[in-house]
Amino acid sequence: MQKKMAYSFPDEVLEHVFSFIQSDKDRNAVSMVCKSWYEIERWCRRKIFIGNCYAVSPRIMIRRFPEIRSVELKGKPHFADFNLVPEGWGGYILPWIVEMAGAYPWLEEIRLKRMVVTDESLELIAKSFKNFKVLVLSFCEGFSTDGLAAIAASCKNLKELDLRESEVDDLSGHWLSHFPETYTSLVSLNISCLGSDEVSFSALERLVGRCPNLRTLQLNRAVPLDKIATILRRAPQLVEFGTGTYAAELRPDVFSNLAGAFSSCKELRSLSGFWDVVPAYLPAIYSVCSRISSLNLSYATIQSHDLIKLVCHCPSLQRLLVLDYIEDSGLEALASSCKDLQELRVFPSDPFGAEPNVSLTEQGLVAVSLGCPKLQSVLYFCHQMTNSALVNIAQNRPNLTRFRLCIIAPRKPDYVTLEPLDVGFGAIVQHCKDLRRLSLSGLLTDRVFEYIGTYAKKLEMLSVAFAGDSDLGLHHVLSGCESLRKLEIRDCSFGDKALLANAAKLETMRSLWMSSCSVSFGACKLLGQKMPRLNVEVIDERGPPDSRPESCPVEKLYIYRSVAGPRFDMPPFVWTMDDEDSALRLS
Amino acid sequence: MGRATSSSSSSIESSNHFAFSNTGASSSSQRDLSTDLRLGLSISTSPSYGREQQSDWPPIKPLLGQALAEDENECNSATFFVKVYMEGIPIGRKLDLLAHESYYDLIKTLEQMFNANIIWAEAEVDADHYEKYHVLTYEDKEGDWMMVGDVPWEMFLSAVRRLKITKC
Repeated sequence: MQKKMAYSFPDEVLEHVFSFIQSDKDRNAVSMVCKSWYEIERWCRRKIFIGNCYAVSPRIMIRRFPEIRSVELKGKPHFADFNLVPEGWGGYILPWIVEMAGAYPWLEEIRLKRMVVTDESLELIAKSFKNFKVLVLSFCEGFSTDGLAAIAASCKNLKELDLRESEVDDLSGHWLSHFPETYTSLVSLNISCLGSDEVSFSALERLVGRCPNLRTLQLNRAVPLDKIATILRRAPQLVEFGTGTYAAELRPDVFSNLAGAFSSCKELRSLSGFWDVVPAYLPAIYSVCSRISSLNLSYATIQSHDLIKLVCHCPSLQRLLVLDYIEDSGLEALASSCKDLQELRVFPSDPFGAEPNVSLTEQGLVAVSLGCPKLQSVLYFCHQMTNSALVNIAQNRPNLTRFRLCIIAPRKPDYVTLEPLDVGFGAIVQHCKDLRRLSLSGLLTDRVFEYIGTYAKKLEMLSVAFAGDSDLGLHHVLSGCESLRKLEIRDCSFGDKALLANAAKLETMRSLWMSSCSVSFGACKLLGQKMPRLNVEVIDERGPPDSRPESCPVEKLYIYRSVAGPRFDMPPFVWTMDDEDSALRLS
Repeated sequence: MGRATSSSSSSIESSNHFAFSNTGASSSSQRDLSTDLRLGLSISTSPSYGREQQSDWPPIKPLLGQALAEDENECNSATFFVKVYMEGIPIGRKLDLLAHESYYDLIKTLEQMFNANIIWAEAEVDADHYEKYHVLTYEDKEGDWMMVGDVPWEMFLSAVRRLKITKC
């Protein structure tokens, strides 16, 4: 009877059904139903996401999924963004490209985050994939404009080239001219990270002019304000636009030209760029503000009153990135004007100053939490916080899914009561039942981790710095947070006990990062031996860990699950603790 | 140059728990947080956040950090990173030329970085032991490889694209 059922759907029908299933989780679930579904699913999977490039090898991926068209890979751990991962650590894309060049000639999309990409890799991509369409390099490094020239010259069907926040060796602005005159398929171009003065503006202008489907264009700082109008008039269909430098001598003709150009962009929904803003030029964008849903002002060093004027023109705003120049008064204005706000990020204008330079406090965040019912995602840098503010925020906004608070001075207590902020963050995890991401700061004891372990059942990513008293804190998190995938910890006195007691938990997570903690080399070795499916990597720039006593804490520790075994591309300051007797492998 | 400094603030905390000596503590910047922290005061990190020290706290992304730092220090906050390769080592390093004032400065850094004896145009060499030395060359705007040190430092800065250290 059952066999009949299995044959009653031809493979093609099942494949067709599966083609409507896009999410990885669902696809994985489908593949586990039975062997024949596994087989059908693996042949028709087109998109793959690999959150840690060392968790699996290219060969394993290719063996299971022979017909992939779109690959997304992440390399270095998140703390690499803050200079905690020494240069040379790893995350090289070349071996992946080499294997995929042979196995996936029809690959269309490559999206990379925190990986080392070389010109050689880019040239190989350009040469190997005839129908290549999308290249997104997010926080990547290691390549130059020569590599981009290769992509521009060869990828006739390229739709998207997005270099968000990557570090590019800007050798020559002429790489843009390598897009042939016949090339017209560009949909999205983000070159905002390109440094120097060299983007050939005339090549850019011609490119924009001949690509009618261009929807996203993010320029780099070097493009002057008076060129914006020219660009916009050639691409009035733009949906997302990033300016270059937004400064020029105030001239009425330039202003009216700019304002006119913006007003002709009826589809514009997202603005960014705004380096070096001259406030007098801001009104040029007012005509589009009512439709703007995303505004990135992270580089706009303008004062509160100019920011308030701007923000009050944007009632449809859903996403705002801004410097703390906005101050509490600006956030109060935001709370009353922008009722659709979903995401707010406030960055510090003077991150290294000893004293706050602006009047931005916990009050601003409380105001937004009160006034913006759809607020889900918060990243907030400030100098002071109280438990009662955090409790308020939690009660106002139980729908928060991402809450990242950075009180700039480490270990700072509630400034009114001088108590730790355990209760405040406890309220956040208790009320915000769908919280997926949390970053802690301020003075925190083991108590806060007890709250997190007890309540944060949907938490997937936790970032901890300068917190906790003992291993109990780490133990609460590892034993209580059922959905935890990524845990990153720095400067906490967590040691061996919690780690070893929760070793099995680590296999259910993507990765654990611990730096400047108290995990001993001996414990790392033990963990590596006990858990063959974990790669336990010790990063230590002081020299080989076995030149110091076993009880000596390691500088940095990165543990991740992997089916590919230990990697072989480690630099001299990384050691892997594997499960052989010679637990130390010198690279 | 350009290496991340490992945060050493925990060495103050952990010295309460472990009796180990942080020997060879590399280029960690020592920030004495202990007293300030107990009083709950804001930490006064050295406001002269120099080019050589890459800060790892507070956690802001590099591009934003750079942009803000440029706004803060009008004086010479510019950087000019070039790649440096040593023959035989596939992984290169990066060096900020503007963090150096002269050829002597640059050579000193490179010798430390690569642990080698480096020759340039004005170096004194032990003629009997050439094989001990490495030569420093640079690629100029025309793509030619030239020995470092022949032209004035400022002229070099405007011409150099990348550096290479080769065996003699």
